[in-house]
Amino acid sequence: MDAFLHGVGVCPCVVVPYLDIAMVITLCALLLLGFPAAFSLAGTALIFAVIGMAFNVFDISFIRPFPQRIFGSVTNTTLIAVPMFILMGVILEKSKIAEDLLDAMAKLFGSLRGGLGISVTIVGALLAASTGIVGATVVTMGLLSLPTMLRRGYDPAFASGSIAAAGTLGQIIPPSIVLILLGDAISNAYQKSQLEAGNFSPEAVSAGDLFAGALFPGLLLVGLYISWQIGVAVFQGHKAPAIPAAELGSKKEIWGAAARILPAPLILIIAVLGSILLGVATPTEAASVGAVGALLIAGLRLGDDKNLSSAPPRFITRLITGRTAISITAGSIFGLFILTQFVDLRLGRSDISPVEQVTIWIAMISCLAILPGIIDSLRTLLKKNLASDIVDQTTRVTTMVFTILIGAALFSLVFRGLGGDETVRHTLEATPGGVIGAVAMVMLVMFILGFFLDFIEITLVVVPLVAPILLGMGLDPVWLGVLMAMNLQTSFLTPPFGFALFYLRGVAPPEIKTSQIYRGALPFIIIQIIALGVLILFPQIATWLPDQLYG
Amino acid sequence: MLEWIGIFLNWLVAGLLFPLLFIPLARLVAHKSNSQFFIWLILVLGSVTLASFFLISLPEKGYAPFRPALGIWALSVVIVGALINLFGGFEKWGHQLSELTNKLTRSTARTVMWLVIVMALVQFSIVILRYVFGVNSIWMQESITYMHGAVFLLAAGYALITDDHVRVDVFYRESSERRKAIINLFGTYTMLIPVCLLLLWTAAPYVFSSWQSVEGSNETSGLPLLFLLKSLIPAFAILLLLAAYHTAYQNVDKLLIAKQKKRTF
Repeated sequence: MDAFLHGVGVCPCVVVPYLDIAMVITLCALLLLGFPAAFSLAGTALIFAVIGMAFNVFDISFIRPFPQRIFGSVTNTTLIAVPMFILMGVILEKSKIAEDLLDAMAKLFGSLRGGLGISVTIVGALLAASTGIVGATVVTMGLLSLPTMLRRGYDPAFASGSIAAAGTLGQIIPPSIVLILLGDAISNAYQKSQLEAGNFSPEAVSAGDLFAGALFPGLLLVGLYISWQIGVAVFQGHKAPAIPAAELGSKKEIWGAAARILPAPLILIIAVLGSILLGVATPTEAASVGAVGALLIAGLRLGDDKNLSSAPPRFITRLITGRTAISITAGSIFGLFILTQFVDLRLGRSDISPVEQVTIWIAMISCLAILPGIIDSLRTLLKKNLASDIVDQTTRVTTMVFTILIGAALFSLVFRGLGGDETVRHTLEATPGGVIGAVAMVMLVMFILGFFLDFIEITLVVVPLVAPILLGMGLDPVWLGVLMAMNLQTSFLTPPFGFALFYLRGVAPPEIKTSQIYRGALPFIIIQIIALGVLILFPQIATWLPDQLYG
Repeated sequence: MLEWIGIFLNWLVAGLLFPLLFIPLARLVAHKSNSQFFIWLILVLGSVTLASFFLISLPEKGYAPFRPALGIWALSVVIVGALINLFGGFEKWGHQLSELTNKLTRSTARTVMWLVIVMALVQFSIVILRYVFGVNSIWMQESITYMHGAVFLLAAGYALITDDHVRVDVFYRESSERRKAIINLFGTYTMLIPVCLLLLWTAAPYVFSSWQSVEGSNETSGLPLLFLLKSLIPAFAILLLLAAYHTAYQNVDKLLIAKQKKRTF
């Protein structure tokens, strides 16, 4: 067989040392065909593994750990946050809470010029948790708000630019699932670079660090977007007219609706984010609280079917079903966490004082009181045939994300086996300009890749390759992660390939021209570039909060 | 005993599942001609030869039963093909098999998908137990890992059928139905199926050794079911293969319909 292969291999022998580069080029070509990215990644890897083996430059033992890698992604506790955040987002979306939020915001700001644009930006930022896939947010927002904005006489370019930009905000504002994946990748890379530098007990970088790091840059972007929108409203009022106050209903109605709709999701998001940032809870734990919270809000939102109960419900029934039960549940959860702040409720100690014993009993009873609300919310969702939709959607998105993880694992195993690691290292180290040159080069490559690949693929394929080298040059891991995230986000907005623009094109009415969408995105790209510049000049924006929080 | 089960499963996959996967392709190549069987035979023998090269190049330490399996593999490929051809060819059987694989992957995923909510609720209970009562439960924490693994590994095939695996659709989106079907068939046969087989081959010794020692948790009070969790990895590959069969069959359908349309116009 060797002789046979040798005979075949005489001619393309020149290519052999460059198999790793050929692999990347082939990957790009195959990806552009449009076959699912996860399998294109793994398939390219396999093809090049076989070619490599034929030329004796690849050792099969490199792909032996493939199942261990998969098993590693099953047991990785940080990544378990991903399905739970997706669940939370899907519940908020399917139970139309996201729609309500947008509606309430639009009414609140609608009487201002540019108000609809601002509300889109804010909701985009708030919905960050729900999606890591650019497409989903852009599609949701595009479907919900673009028709309204156009009907209200907004300039099509301005409206579509606002929506596309708001849709990408979700990635950089924590807790987004891509930040979890990026945090995991950066943390592994950091550990690797520290070990190589001879530091055998490196400090860990966690998803929480990256969340904290991304918060201010994210808010900076929100601020800049809104300033731009206000600017347009002030100086070019015809592009963003106000909705006549008469059409919005009375002030009382508007504020009433806002007070009814806004607080619950806001509290939920702040609680989830806050507990992660303060280091109280791991992302996974916070995500589960977020999912249960979203479930309760959905139960509240959908549960008020008055026509079902012809007779007024009895006291007990009312206590364990409907709004009352959900309120009791929410109250109990809050109560429990407040109790723990004041009384030591830990079981299994030898010195439990009588007061503590009584409080423990109270806590246990309130634990029971949590159940009816959750059960009732679940029942509501089941009754509305939403529950199976929600879990179905969550499962599909989850498996999509993790299948890419599996594909990327095989790709990186083979790429490493073909010496791709060394090639990347040499290239980066040979880049003129030292660290700055290397970072600029990586950012440029990622920016271009962002035209073709979604955030998840880039995070899982490119970051493990380049991050250890860059971090080995002494860069701050959190800063690098945030810079990458923001860079990719810019890439998704950039015509002609930007993902966000593509998805928006898909849902925008045909009378909007593609060129209008491109033109609308331009100012936001400039804002992105400004924000990137600020982040590079003042890395503290990213590093200050993690330093303060985690020391 | 366990070893024999392992060998049997290997043969089952190599001898039965693998040749069956070629039915859609054979159907496409040999549409409405009597040479179905021969074309299919050439396809399969070609792929077997390629796979043999791959397997032979595995180092000595590999999973021993592979080598003798090869011969039987090729033989069973031919026998199964002959049988299928005898009983009405690929049209009827292939279609029924396509329905079957569809149903199987779908129902598996639509069963495990409920674990998503269970997972969130269990994790929520863990949070309460830990932060309020200071109780840590290792088996509860591990059960979440198990559910998480089950959800994404067992639903991957389903997501293939529902076309949820994200594509780089810059060009794909605007392609014609026919072009899309060709791309999917190409990808399925050059990338998806080989990768699944690779995964089966590399996972076999990994899972096998776990079964041999009935591997439990690393923690003392954890769930003693690690060998089952690891078995999800080959299950992932097999479900993906089944789903690949279904999608390939459907894509061939699309191509054949497109062909017929062309003829009528």
